Amino acid sequence: MKLAINIKNITKTYPGVLANSDVSIKVKSGDIHAIVGENGAGKSTLMKILYGMVKPDSGNIEIFENKANMSSPKDSINLGIGMVHQHFMLAKNLTVLENIILGIDRPFLKNIKLSKYKTEIQKVMELYSLNIDLNQYVDELSVGEKQRVEIIKVLYRGAKILILDEPTAVLVPQEVKDLFKNLKDLKNNGVTVLFISHKLDEVLEIADEISVMRSGQMIDTVLNDNVSKTQLAEMMIGKSLPTPPARLTSTDEEVILKVENLKSNDENGRTIFEDVSFEVHKSEILGIAGVEGNGQKEVVEAIIGIQALDSGKVIFKNNDLEKQGTRERLESGISFIPEDRQLQAMIMEMDLTNNVIIGRQNIKKYKSSLGTVKMKNAVNESEKVISAFEVKTPGTSTLATALSGGNQQKFVVGRELEDDPSLLIASQPTRGIDIGAQALIWEKLRNSRDEGLSVLLISADLEELIGLSDRIIVFYQGKLVKEIEAENITPEDLGSYMTGLKK
Amino acid sequence: MKIFKSLTKRYIVFTPILLVVVVAQVETYSQLTTSGTFGAAVRLAIPILLAGLGGLYSEKTGVVNIGLEGMMIMGTWFGAWGGFTFGAWQGVFIGMLGGALFGLIHAIATVSFQVDHIVSGVAINILAAGVARFLNVIAYEGVAYASSTASPRIQGDIGIFTMPFLAGGKIGETVTPNLIGRVEDLNIFLVSDFAGLMLGFLSNISYLTLFALILVPVSFLVLWFTPLGLQMRSVGEYPAGAESLGVNVYLMKYIGVTISGALSGLAGSYLVVAGTGTYLEGQTGGRGFIGLASMLFGNYKPFGILMGSGLFGFADALQLRSPQAVHGLLIVISIFLLVLTFKAIFEKKYKASVVSFLLSAAFLIWFVNSTSIPNQFVYFTPHITTLIVLSFANQRIKLPEKNGVPYKKGELN
Repeated sequence: MKLAINIKNITKTYPGVLANSDVSIKVKSGDIHAIVGENGAGKSTLMKILYGMVKPDSGNIEIFENKANMSSPKDSINLGIGMVHQHFMLAKNLTVLENIILGIDRPFLKNIKLSKYKTEIQKVMELYSLNIDLNQYVDELSVGEKQRVEIIKVLYRGAKILILDEPTAVLVPQEVKDLFKNLKDLKNNGVTVLFISHKLDEVLEIADEISVMRSGQMIDTVLNDNVSKTQLAEMMIGKSLPTPPARLTSTDEEVILKVENLKSNDENGRTIFEDVSFEVHKSEILGIAGVEGNGQKEVVEAIIGIQALDSGKVIFKNNDLEKQGTRERLESGISFIPEDRQLQAMIMEMDLTNNVIIGRQNIKKYKSSLGTVKMKNAVNESEKVISAFEVKTPGTSTLATALSGGNQQKFVVGRELEDDPSLLIASQPTRGIDIGAQALIWEKLRNSRDEGLSVLLISADLEELIGLSDRIIVFYQGKLVKEIEAENITPEDLGSYMTGLKK
Repeated sequence: MKIFKSLTKRYIVFTPILLVVVVAQVETYSQLTTSGTFGAAVRLAIPILLAGLGGLYSEKTGVVNIGLEGMMIMGTWFGAWGGFTFGAWQGVFIGMLGGALFGLIHAIATVSFQVDHIVSGVAINILAAGVARFLNVIAYEGVAYASSTASPRIQGDIGIFTMPFLAGGKIGETVTPNLIGRVEDLNIFLVSDFAGLMLGFLSNISYLTLFALILVPVSFLVLWFTPLGLQMRSVGEYPAGAESLGVNVYLMKYIGVTISGALSGLAGSYLVVAGTGTYLEGQTGGRGFIGLASMLFGNYKPFGILMGSGLFGFADALQLRSPQAVHGLLIVISIFLLVLTFKAIFEKKYKASVVSFLLSAAFLIWFVNSTSIPNQFVYFTPHITTLIVLSFANQRIKLPEKNGVPYKKGELN
């Protein structure tokens, strides 16, 4: 069988990191080939090399059995390679059509033949049964639609090899299904698909062959039929998987947080959320599910006082929080892990000690009678967090930006749990971090819960949501549409509630 | 209801124009809409229009350009030097080159070296003022009528143009009838006022003005209907995405910022060649910054920039030609604020409605209790008008998404 891609002995080092070490891989033409591995295993670097964005230190690449020398994405496009990035490469304020044809013409002063392009693109869309309105602005599209635009974009450029970098990370289960259907159509039309993922179920569902990478090395390539999920996972992390222990303690009856009939409108008078009522008990993890933009983020922000409420009550430990500002709420025993650690949770250009006291500068532990900060306590505190959460860092005076994503997140979670809060609001606590850090954070959350902490957990990772939560509530279009015990639900069902397919 | 809403949103901008026409019916304020006023308005608006277009090219490619003022200063100096040494048209061209040179410096700093755009822009403004003085001292040593802050007069001039038949221009030696002029003299409500506006654009205008006005539709076509324009805009929106499609991000930014400099340079040389005839230190008078404001007012669209600079030019022309007429603007502002009051009530923004009602009343009282505006305020008219319109326009300005964000090549995520 013809080989679409033949990568031979690629090595790439960044200062201090061996990203790819002697990696070889063969991809058969017309296959769906998956590459799995943990974050930092070197998958993305390999793909960037294949797409001409990064130059390897040594090794070479053959595309369709011809030696290829790629120095820019343009070269790869000409060789028939197209890439769909994890973060979409789309300009929001341009139309779908403009995004697709961008870069095809040389940048000259002549009329763009928009209508000619339109008919050509429509032909491509028909061929691969992909559908989208070309005149819409990308800003108005859903995540799944944006991904479709990306796929059309590379196919229209004549791509015969499609690289998808973590394509399902941002999709809900129904959108994943659509995507897989599209990928199979592509395969039937002779397109080779290279699929990068760390979600083993999906890989096993769609791929013909699977290659596993670990810490920069290619471990093995196996046929889908000859491998089980456990085997793959073990190849991936190099040791057997930890299984979550069953819950031994039980939820307490005492209500820690109670919200009643929350309602809020945006400045244009549109409802963001309404009729939101729920309770969080002591020693309970309440999961909140919802596709991004369905009001769950704003509800959480309303609880800590960032988002203004039009009506409704937030009652924390029998106190109405209405008159309290965000700082008072946080000081009264609510901890908050925001969804974006780099934008909201930490100040990247400050060291870890400073990051420990941010927002806590007024509590007694850190404030001397003169109003200055007690640095010694802060240093002790950050040392405590670092050792308790196994944060890999040279010391407390390291800048936050020097840490890897997983270590940053461990530090943030540790900081929030150190104060012994009664309620923890955790928004996407393990988004985009490696399995090791994820397992540690899960374990810490479970332990804290068993010791009596209440947790409000918002996560787009449905497995995490189901695995950690005791109860789950689902948001759809600003309303609370479903409440379920976590034991009784599958990710598919949850996905149906989140997209309004099931009620 | 919905239609009404979208109508008020879109056309509320035009109410002040209508109000101006109404007020102009009063004899004292008739200067508000004469062809003379509009003619002056066009002349005064052109440098701002050009600077605004310059800003557009730069910011559409994602480079914030507050160095427009400095590039304009270079335009004035090089324009005058070229005009003095070679002639008027050559001066225009050399002025553009001078501006483009400083645009290039801004591009090198912001694009290749990732200097913060504001820092580089401020540096350009400071540098340009110094360089202009330095060059002026060196270039005109011993030349008559030159000083350290002024150049000698340029040679020749740019011709002026009057539209035949419509505005009474000549064909050969024959004088054609001035049709629009007659309509203006008839004093018909709205029609004559509009005729005045037309005459302002068609009669006695410099060829350079004509060239500048043509640049408005040309810019629109270039930026929105050519592959070059698409690539330039994409770079301001999402450079990483553009690069992944093989767009040369740096080149596009260089092109945008350099064009920006050239247009600002043109704006500067316009001040000299079609205006004073000599270089004078400080003659740009912050017009580069006003150009930036007109770009925001125009919401990053060429025709919007034309409107924005036109507004400023109009207010400027009024204060120069007829301080008396400026007084009439008070009642225009008062009534317009009243309209906004009702709009705010309609949208249930009660706080905003109270504020604009009080302001409206204040302007009315001022209008009734005075016959003219103190001179100090008259000079301030253009700026305050622009400020008022900008703050009440209540539009959603659509910035290019990655405007002002330094981009490093190969920085794909």
